[in-house]
Amino acid sequence: MLSNIGIIFSSSALLSSLILIYFSIVELKISGDKISQKIYKFSLFKLIFSLSSFLTLIAGYVYSDFSINNVYENSHTSKPLFYKISGTWGNHEGSLLLWINILVLFSFLFLVLDKNKNKNFKLLTLIFQNLLISIFFIFLLSNSNPFAPVFPVPSEGNGLNPILQDPALAIHPPLLYIGFVGSSIYFSVALASLICKIDSRSLATTLKPWVSVSWFFQTLGILVGSIWAYYELGWGGFWFWDPVENSSLMPWLLMTALLHSVLVLERKMGLYSWVIVLSIMTFTMSVVGTFLVRSGILNSVHTFASDPNRGLFILSFLLVMVFSSIFIFFRYAPSENKNYKIFSKEFFILLNNWFMIFFLAVVLIGTLYPVFLDTLTGAQISVGPPYYNFILAPFLIPLLFLMTSGPKHRWISSDFKKIFDIILFLSIISFVIIFFFIKESNLLTNLILLFSIYLIIQTIFDFYGNLKNKNINLSRIISHFGFGLLIFFISINSILSLESNFNAKIGEKKNLGNYVINFKKLETAQIDNYKSVIGHFEILNKKKSTIENLKPEIRLYNKPETITYEASINSNLFSDTYLTMSNISDTNIFNIKFQKKPFMNFIWLSVILISLGGVLKFFKIKRQI
Amino acid sequence: MKKVIFIFLLIFLSTKINAKENLKNNILKNLRCLVCQGQTISDSNSDFAQIIKSVVDDKLQEGLKEKEIYHFLSEKYGSWILLNPPIKTNSYLLWFLPYILFILGGLFIYLMVKKRVIEKK
Repeated sequence: MLSNIGIIFSSSALLSSLILIYFSIVELKISGDKISQKIYKFSLFKLIFSLSSFLTLIAGYVYSDFSINNVYENSHTSKPLFYKISGTWGNHEGSLLLWINILVLFSFLFLVLDKNKNKNFKLLTLIFQNLLISIFFIFLLSNSNPFAPVFPVPSEGNGLNPILQDPALAIHPPLLYIGFVGSSIYFSVALASLICKIDSRSLATTLKPWVSVSWFFQTLGILVGSIWAYYELGWGGFWFWDPVENSSLMPWLLMTALLHSVLVLERKMGLYSWVIVLSIMTFTMSVVGTFLVRSGILNSVHTFASDPNRGLFILSFLLVMVFSSIFIFFRYAPSENKNYKIFSKEFFILLNNWFMIFFLAVVLIGTLYPVFLDTLTGAQISVGPPYYNFILAPFLIPLLFLMTSGPKHRWISSDFKKIFDIILFLSIISFVIIFFFIKESNLLTNLILLFSIYLIIQTIFDFYGNLKNKNINLSRIISHFGFGLLIFFISINSILSLESNFNAKIGEKKNLGNYVINFKKLETAQIDNYKSVIGHFEILNKKKSTIENLKPEIRLYNKPETITYEASINSNLFSDTYLTMSNISDTNIFNIKFQKKPFMNFIWLSVILISLGGVLKFFKIKRQI
Repeated sequence: MKKVIFIFLLIFLSTKINAKENLKNNILKNLRCLVCQGQTISDSNSDFAQIIKSVVDDKLQEGLKEKEIYHFLSEKYGSWILLNPPIKTNSYLLWFLPYILFILGGLFIYLMVKKRVIEKK
């Protein structure tokens, strides 16, 4: 029943989107500067149909309607309601429907909110959006139908992978998708503005709000994913340079480059073609990300649903998209307005873009190289964290330095100011003080620390300086401040982290430097949809004579049958104590991993600060309009 | 300037007491768990990871160097196990392409800016 309703709703949405393309093309030829009512009407229909199809699927999950194959495969009656709902987008078909819904919602918001006077430009943008929507709906209905029925109707479902049953992972995909899909708007806007020969200022004002919004959500999405990985995957890390993590980072890097370049464009100072290229690349990377995750060609912790056929579809879609973009670009590319001087602010923005594209290239090469090598020669190699750290870390130093000195320069031109000033002096003093506590011997780490402190202190000074001027660029200051803190705390965290791996039986005590770990007892419990083995540990800090009690778990989920290892984390303001336990087969010995992770909360907070800059920027733009 | 030199001296002179534990953890972090989905040996709870952990322990006891352990493991399990791919003919591009691209990007910006400064004059 729900299956049919869902198919009807999504087909109607597809139909309205096709009708919209037709109407828009017809209207392109009609003179006048207003978009007709019927386009608004059909856009609203499309939105309602599309949302209804999504709600239908959610209803299928809530009422456990196992006549829908997707619900049968990914849900279970014993699952808590919250995870029934979030399970809707915990699988390929459902998440694709969510993706399309956000695409539809963004197109609608663009139609309603964008104040651009040029009618044909808006119509063209909508045509491109609707083309994307139609293609994805066709893909959904033909290859990945979430409403596909199953007969005979099973009495019980297969259940959701337990590690996906988590509040962070319930909101992680929607956040990321808003970021990913938000970039479709600038893809369409870029192509439309090429064809309509939109001037650089209106292109910049059209792009800015969408870039800052999608950048904000993308940042938060990545953050939530990292936090989830930190406590749920049970290894105490928060970024593994995993291919799937990389595919969310790649669009983010491009968005960051775009966020900066739009500033140059806004002041009518060139970079028009470059902004267009970045816009097209960002959405392309978002689709590449989806391709990499969904096709299953990557070996990843996050591969929960994959199928080579889908990969093939997305790959061909990608090729068509890229080639038609290239065609439109070269057919319509405008000539550039040129006036640069070294050490002007726009020069520094170019440098920012240089670094962002470099980071992107490294991540892309690291992610795809093993795949290509395997296909071409059959040799299997792994590219992991050591590779990325080795290549990227040295480049953080000039990046931090540029982030510190770049914003000090004026637009168009300014002379190079002296580097040695009070701020650098203060930074060196703070660094020396910190150095006496950490006594780190690695030169590179020390330099990264020094330059992150330099950036932090500079942004604090900027904040006070601008507070007096009233001409405050708070979004930049907060984001740069957050980035400085992020690098600072990640470095400190990697230096001061303690880690120990050992085997122990119940009742044993283990001495580890300042800590004594006491494995007191083992307890079993039966909870809703899993059985749990809970270890009771007491951790004594000899120096401070404090005691922490931690209870790591081993869980046996029944639907589907899976074992998960739940870390026990005692999170304090300055330091987290992290304990995981796993059983060694056929023995009564347990493998215990004990970690002290300082400043974890500060790392999360830094990313929140970075993203906050995006929100502030958005509201500033809104005020200006 | 003196202060800067002072700091650099401090950095070079100070040495951290490097416990064996640290070396072992480092090695475990650079190894892929072959039976898992993209986890390191250090992060994994699987039986395979437990075995590799004890193998690394034994090899360290025998006095093998870090590189020798990597070599031993990649001989046995293939280079898929090493998360830090060694520089070989099949990984030259992987290691050097990023730097080449970085230099090309810099050159591009330099030429662009230079051209524009001249045009302005």
